[in-house]
Amino acid sequence: MVTLSIDGIECSYGSVDVLKDINFNVKSGEFLGILGPNGSGKTTLLKSISRVLKPKKGAILIGTENIYNMKTVDVAKQMAVVPQSTPVSFDFTALEVVLMGRNPHMARFKMEGKKDLEIAKKSMELTRTWEFADRPVTELSGGEIQRVIIARALTQEPQILLLDEPTTHLDISNQLEIMDLIKHLCETQKLLIVAVFHDFNLAARYCDSIILLKDGKIVAAGKSNDTLTSENVKKVFSVNTIVKNHPITGQLHVIPISRPIILQPKSLIVHLICGGGTGSPIMKTLLDEGYRVTAGVLNLLDTDQETAQLLSIPTTNEAPFSPITTEAHKANLQMISKANVLVVTPTQFGDGNLRNLDAAETALKQGIPTVLLENGPMGERDFTNGKATEYLKRLKTKGATTVKSTSELVQFLDNLELKNNKENNH
Amino acid sequence: MKQDAETSHLKHVSHWKLYLVILLILFGIVFVLSLNLGYAHIPFSDILKILSKQVPFLNDLVDSSGISNTSEVIITQLRLPRVICGALVGASLATAGVIYQGIFRNPMADPYVIGSMSGASLGAALVLVLGVGVSFLGVNTLQIFAFVCSFATVLAVYSISKTGSRVPVTMLLLTGIAITYFQSAIVTFLQTVATDKVHRGLAFWLIGSLSSTETWSDVWSVFPFLVLGFVAAYLYSRDLNVLALGEDQAQHLGVEIEKLKRILLICATLMTAAAVSISGLIGFVGLIIPHLTRLIVGPDHRILLPTSAVVGASFLMISDSIARVIMGSGEAPVGVITALAGGPFFIYLLRRKKRGYTM
Repeated sequence: MVTLSIDGIECSYGSVDVLKDINFNVKSGEFLGILGPNGSGKTTLLKSISRVLKPKKGAILIGTENIYNMKTVDVAKQMAVVPQSTPVSFDFTALEVVLMGRNPHMARFKMEGKKDLEIAKKSMELTRTWEFADRPVTELSGGEIQRVIIARALTQEPQILLLDEPTTHLDISNQLEIMDLIKHLCETQKLLIVAVFHDFNLAARYCDSIILLKDGKIVAAGKSNDTLTSENVKKVFSVNTIVKNHPITGQLHVIPISRPIILQPKSLIVHLICGGGTGSPIMKTLLDEGYRVTAGVLNLLDTDQETAQLLSIPTTNEAPFSPITTEAHKANLQMISKANVLVVTPTQFGDGNLRNLDAAETALKQGIPTVLLENGPMGERDFTNGKATEYLKRLKTKGATTVKSTSELVQFLDNLELKNNKENNH
Repeated sequence: MKQDAETSHLKHVSHWKLYLVILLILFGIVFVLSLNLGYAHIPFSDILKILSKQVPFLNDLVDSSGISNTSEVIITQLRLPRVICGALVGASLATAGVIYQGIFRNPMADPYVIGSMSGASLGAALVLVLGVGVSFLGVNTLQIFAFVCSFATVLAVYSISKTGSRVPVTMLLLTGIAITYFQSAIVTFLQTVATDKVHRGLAFWLIGSLSSTETWSDVWSVFPFLVLGFVAAYLYSRDLNVLALGEDQAQHLGVEIEKLKRILLICATLMTAAAVSISGLIGFVGLIIPHLTRLIVGPDHRILLPTSAVVGASFLMISDSIARVIMGSGEAPVGVITALAGGPFFIYLLRRKKRGYTM
């Protein structure tokens, strides 16, 4: 059992302060993530924990001992570090590199013995690197080298493992494999793990607790679920996000929505007839563009309905998997009448939601401009024996505009907005 | 799949001794061959007898009655010191090359990279051209000046590069280059004002030659530095291995990196300065011998250091033998031979083995 305490450290490069008053504790078996944007000081923090950059103030303690008062070799016996990438300058074999992990444990003149080889072999089997143990590292791929470096770190037999964005340069399958392995080691061997991330989903997936850094200061810290909120992420990364549990993994999932560009809010209200996920990207685009958006009728649990809820878009709803009732239809018409323009997305139509096209026809009659977004043949999404296709044809002849893409839609809306503003000014 | 990686590693390590023994035998052969070479013809059997006569206990066992006194003097007083000097200079430069390449993690690094070359040549030029302190207690002033200037230059480069408590290698390299240009400019200027005779002597010295090393005092002025530098480097050979992963990672593996750099740079520089002070600037040995040896024995410094020393020694002995005979009556500077042989050979190695160094 070991504790790593970061006690009020401050670091600076020259006269520039990079870290200010950082405090936290980690214990064996805990997986702590440090998250922050570029330049937030997270790598500096890791450097100072790993005894490379001595802080100006404060202390880093393993148990009760300040690592900067310990010998380099004694720190290395307890703490291993895996950097982002490791350029190896000579063609050592993978096994030779892994055996270097024994360095802090060996007397100056001793050669690696049987025990050292066994430890190296075990780490290499864990990281699936034993199969190319005798190949030169200079011939290995990025993912393979990184696994070799992790095996080397494990061969150090540390109690503390520090990782600096260990999977940044790797493909997704390597990323997950390596992070799974580290998580496994944390749980089974009670390793204390501190890892720097810039990918919040990777952090959310693996960390027990998270520290959010910005401008060298801790903005939020605590259990992942409490720390990684949309509000905190916006504070630190300046992006709007949706944070929810992933439908499949059940883990916290952060979806970046937009950069907070402050656009002139627009006057038009756009109502969407959508469903099955066809409306979600349009909702986001239109909000980004500054339009106010409503939608309906949507069945509860429908993807578009969920998106609308996350984006705080007002909707007219119907019970899950149910046809649109007269009541909902009326409510939808009510909502449409307040909108300035109606957009029909290329969603599927069945008898259950055919009423939405009826609503579109009503709107057109009331003089509300209607836009049909079409990006493929109607036949594939008509499950009403042609009734929906008839509706759409009729809408077109009565003056509905057809657009082929979201960008065309935005252009159409922008023109309309301009025209509206001119009329209002006169 | 590869359950024998363990055994193959152990086998590889057990081959180390074999490599060393084979290379030492080759070294021995080259050594005797080099002694055989020269104006006066002395047969191998006599050489071996004369050599064993120098060794305590062995001298009673051989019958040296048939050997002329002249032969013995030629071998022990002329050829032996020269051949040993060649071996010592070659070993020193190769060992220093291994250390510099290890510290700088750069295949282009050689013992001259951070100023020891330009320092030594400045020292030599000052003595030869300006005649500074022509005689100092009867010791060769050229040698002393070259040695001191070389070592002082590297120390200056080291102190200039120091930023805070660290000495970044990029700073060292760049400062080294700047100082080298600066000092070379002074040397070039001195060359232009020198008389023809001095100019020729300086040029000979700058390209490197062992022709002035036919005394035992030259041997003793290099030997201690080679031993000191080699032992120190060998003590830190595993740390040099770990350094291949980069300075930060070496530190994470328990290496006190700044101390390591300081000690090894001082050792390598002392070895280089001592070698250069008796032989002038012999090029290419410190650059290609480490590469060549690495191709044979692998990158592990625990075997690379001793084998490079032996290979470097043999290489310079061979080059010097060629230098002594190639021009008939005269003598070619050995630096010309090493560069002529080394350049194309190095290119051949590079082409043959295109994988290799990633920085």
